[in-house]
Amino acid sequence: MKKLNIGGYLNILAALLGLVGTILTIVSGTMSVDNKLTNMTMIVAAGFIGVVLCALSVYTPTRFGNFDLVGSVSIWGAIALYCYTFGAAVGQRIMLIAGLFSYNSGNTIGWNVFYVSVGAWACLLVGCVCLIASGFFRSVKETA
Amino acid sequence: MLAKKKSGLWRGLTALLVFVLSISMVLGSVLEANAGTIDTYLGTLSEEFVSENTADDPLYDKFTPPAEYLNADGTGNSNALIAAAIDLGRREAAEGSVLLKNENNALPLSSGSNVTLLGIRSHKNLLGSSFGVKAQGPFISLEQALSQSKTDFANTMSWSVGSRGAPPGATVGTPWTGDEFEFEGAGFNLNQTMIDVYENLSQTEKYTHYENEPAAEVYDPGEPSISELEGADSGFRSSFAQYGDAAIVVIARPSSESVDYLPGGVADGLDFEHGEPFSLTKNERDAIELAKECSDKVIVLISSSASVEIGSLKDDPDVDAIMWIGAPGCYGMLGVADILCGRVSPSGGLFDIFTAYNMSAPAMQNMGKMYYANTEGTITRSGGVLSFTPGAYAIEAEGMYVGYRYYETRYYDCVAGTGKADSTAGTYASKGGWNYADEVTYGFGYGLSYTTFDFDIQGEPKFEISTDPETGAPSAYATFSVKVTNTGSAAGKTPVQIYGQAPYTPGGVEKPAIQLLNFEKTEVLAPGASETVDVKVDLQFIASYDENYDNGDGTKGTYIMDPGDYYFAVGNGAHDALNHIMAAQGMDETKMVGEGNAEQAYIKDISESFISKTLFSVSKTGYKVSNQLPYADWNYYQPGEVTYLSRNDWEGTYPKSYTDMTLTNQELIDALNGKIYDLKTDDDTSDIKWGQDNGVKFYEMFGKDYDDPMWDKLLDQLTLEEAMYIFTFGGPSIPGAESIGTVETYMTENAGNGIAVNLNASKDPGAPWAIPASDPNGNWHPEVFANAPMGASTFNPELMKELGEFEGIESLFTGINILWGPGLNTHRHAYNGRNGEYYSEDPVLSGVAAMEFAIGALEYGLVAAPKHFAFNDQESERGGVSPWMTEQRAREVELRAYQIAFEASKYDTADFDAGMRGLMTSFSKIGAIECTSSYGLMTEILANEWGFIGYAVTDIYDDTDLWTAVLNSGTTCYDTRGQSGFYKTTTLENCSLFVNQVQPYTLSAKLIDGDRNLQLKLKDAAHKNIYSWTVSHLMNRYNSTTRIETRLPWWRALYKGIQIGSGVLAVTCGAMYVMSSMKKKEGN
Repeated sequence: MKKLNIGGYLNILAALLGLVGTILTIVSGTMSVDNKLTNMTMIVAAGFIGVVLCALSVYTPTRFGNFDLVGSVSIWGAIALYCYTFGAAVGQRIMLIAGLFSYNSGNTIGWNVFYVSVGAWACLLVGCVCLIASGFFRSVKETA
Repeated sequence: MLAKKKSGLWRGLTALLVFVLSISMVLGSVLEANAGTIDTYLGTLSEEFVSENTADDPLYDKFTPPAEYLNADGTGNSNALIAAAIDLGRREAAEGSVLLKNENNALPLSSGSNVTLLGIRSHKNLLGSSFGVKAQGPFISLEQALSQSKTDFANTMSWSVGSRGAPPGATVGTPWTGDEFEFEGAGFNLNQTMIDVYENLSQTEKYTHYENEPAAEVYDPGEPSISELEGADSGFRSSFAQYGDAAIVVIARPSSESVDYLPGGVADGLDFEHGEPFSLTKNERDAIELAKECSDKVIVLISSSASVEIGSLKDDPDVDAIMWIGAPGCYGMLGVADILCGRVSPSGGLFDIFTAYNMSAPAMQNMGKMYYANTEGTITRSGGVLSFTPGAYAIEAEGMYVGYRYYETRYYDCVAGTGKADSTAGTYASKGGWNYADEVTYGFGYGLSYTTFDFDIQGEPKFEISTDPETGAPSAYATFSVKVTNTGSAAGKTPVQIYGQAPYTPGGVEKPAIQLLNFEKTEVLAPGASETVDVKVDLQFIASYDENYDNGDGTKGTYIMDPGDYYFAVGNGAHDALNHIMAAQGMDETKMVGEGNAEQAYIKDISESFISKTLFSVSKTGYKVSNQLPYADWNYYQPGEVTYLSRNDWEGTYPKSYTDMTLTNQELIDALNGKIYDLKTDDDTSDIKWGQDNGVKFYEMFGKDYDDPMWDKLLDQLTLEEAMYIFTFGGPSIPGAESIGTVETYMTENAGNGIAVNLNASKDPGAPWAIPASDPNGNWHPEVFANAPMGASTFNPELMKELGEFEGIESLFTGINILWGPGLNTHRHAYNGRNGEYYSEDPVLSGVAAMEFAIGALEYGLVAAPKHFAFNDQESERGGVSPWMTEQRAREVELRAYQIAFEASKYDTADFDAGMRGLMTSFSKIGAIECTSSYGLMTEILANEWGFIGYAVTDIYDDTDLWTAVLNSGTTCYDTRGQSGFYKTTTLENCSLFVNQVQPYTLSAKLIDGDRNLQLKLKDAAHKNIYSWTVSHLMNRYNSTTRIETRLPWWRALYKGIQIGSGVLAVTCGAMYVMSSMKKKEGN
């Protein structure tokens, strides 16, 4: 096994952030029956598959070297899936957020859902940033 | 090495571009799902409603704006529209402001008077509600109205601060760059020193005020102290000498949606006179004292939507004049100025009784935040999408005796010496036993003028009593001809208010001693001039609802007219009229408060042979009236636990506070948990037709009666799924139905004081009169009129109708065909934060105001949908609070306002059954059942008894977890603000609003396949919704060519451009990555 380089560490970080983001998405979608996310299975599946792809993007360079095709496609796929998880959840929270910042600012449960959702989105988006950055860097240290 | 670097670069760039592409795709999807709302706020047009205008299929010929609002080329004249709004807002305030006191002829002030304005609200005026009926856009301030002659809209944008901590902001985001308008002001010279003092203080955080402010549970009116005035300018008193002709002090109490005042809810250290938010603080009282220093002529203006406790001002000989001015909207200060300078003689009457202590209302014993003691563990239903708090309730133990009905009836019984009325129960201001003079400051309907009037009932009223031989529907009216003579020295107009009293038997059905039956208003009468005004009274409204009446058919409860002497009177308010009746009854004048004149009363002995006791047991539609809301009464579930106030024993039944009710009855608990309707899954529904091809299109339904056979053909064309979409998504964007040729359209908006859409953001930009974005006045916002009590206080049906007509005209320019307004709940007490959106405590005044408004609006194709049907008696825990009451109370007070408006009997003709064509339900329950889900309320009373036909929408996202129960009740659709893109981005299956259902089912197009009842209800709901569209100006734009064409607003172009650009670049970079990788391999 080759030793990990900066790109690999970024991918590990992205996987962890994606995992946390997806779990927080599950929490935000189940903490109140009135704020359940529709299509939850798809949203969560996308998040977890994204995490798996991140893991793959860590593993494959150790086998095939830096900038390998499988690892690269995994990075791109993980980015797309994280974005899907983020976007699908945002789309269902728009009206909640609009209410919280206007006519329904006293919605305590809604605020809790909002805070957890923001945490999830932050994790997913930062995870994407890590993946983008890792794309530019080597994932493993290569021996001469 | 170079190849590796290139691979990394291309891979990284591809990753970046994949991210940009993905984000633009998901956010694009979010934007599309909310396109309707985005268009409203950005003034863009993402979907264009397109129809071709041809000779055979003409467009825009059914409802048109009056010619005076059009340019020569047929386009809209924004200047004329705004000028008309200014004029109407001015006249509304001039007729609605109520002069309460005018000693020593303090008012009017002569033109050229040197006047000092005091109180921070004289400088930072309260014009509207911060949430609900806002005063939007540029305005005319009191200072401008008193001293200027031209608007300064460029520098007077109204601001609003939300309730519960929402941040402040300008009501219209863009500064005004449009026209300015000349007006005739009062011509006073104002004390600039004090204006500067208040301006300086208003710049500080402590005394920042906005034109639209909310009520507050802990209230601080934000009035600076004298020392703070001195801190701003230590020598301000020296200005008084020059501006001492009069001192005008403004006191304000705001109102708004979502928050109430609460008993004892006052900020610390302000020394409220009564420790309550509607009493004056020390700083406010000091401002009045300062006015006395300034001038011998002290005038107090009360800006509020509820009773302010001003008893001490009434009794203060140094306060010369008091006038209530409501929250007068953007231009209403001109009307206030008209009165102050004498250009107009005041003619308003109070919308609510003004009491010495608002806490003395028996309703106040049970107001605020009360929760069942065993809510936790018993109430399993959640708080809904808006997360309301479960388990809230209010026992309305005051029964019938709400507002002036309580004070005047108790007064009557005090004088009569009956019912232990003079006991100490419920006394606040009285010294010893209960005393009207101490408890009441100004009565309901009361108002002064600059002149005086004599009222003379001319001969016998004309009684018209008949019964429809087929249906038994009654028609019973009495028309009073009242000769009104101006006996003073100034020209003026006056309301003509007819009140009535039904015979009461102690221990029998509760009856108020006085109630308003109807009203009209004179024209302006010159001194000495007379006018005979006919006031037509519907005698149903003096009948009483007897819940225990045995109908003989197994049902109980109906309206009764007990035989006996009925008294009618014309008076300056309820108290005056009652005194006239008492005089006619020969009661002891020494015990009366005020004087009675028997000549202004009329007695009618109503025997069974004249009007049978059960004449009104059948409604005007011919439907048998019986109890429909038994579950409104707490005692229905848990007998004997609540005692309702009775005039038979004021002392023994005066309400206690029911603060800790415990749920023990399982039927009650099940109802509160929403277990109301059990979905059927195996009914035979084969005879219910859906998806037929009958060749009928929606546009052909214009002018078709509701029962026209063509409707069946049209409705049978709908697919079950289309009908479910129409029921589920009731606006603002309403789904199209391909089978009948309708397209998704943004149809609905707020509010009762103007259409909440900027002129340049019209939803009907294809109208020939549409005002383009380039119009200099394009960002004028039409929501400019006063809060509702101002309209009520005009007591002028013609003006109420004119307000509706004008809003109808606004709707043509803004392309909104259904209005979520006006507010039509009755004021249960002063502390309801939302009183500003509702007219009055009286159902007749409220009902007439809403009826006139709606009929006027409908003339221009605007369907007014009054709200909140019904029982929105408080904003505290408004989401699902249970108001508990007797059915008599529900029908004679709360529902009567809606009944008058919905029946609109005044406008019925032999060939036409007039009525309102819309409503919005309440967040609240009625007893244990959600209003949205109450079959008794929505079908039995509303549809069957009153004959309501139209759009009946829930409040926003309300009871989305009770989809089947709401459909079953007769409610016709949900308010789903923000949802659009139906059948695509928003579907029955994926809409998160409906994901949680109380019953174990999931919303889908198949949900009611096996429920015959719900399919029939769905067809009925679709019928009513679509019918309401056909009577609206939506029909202006529909014909056989109607379709939706997608447009490319900047936000759509932006995200699509990003998608395409990032997609192309991602593919390119990806390809470059692959190529460089291959080169790398070759190199290796």
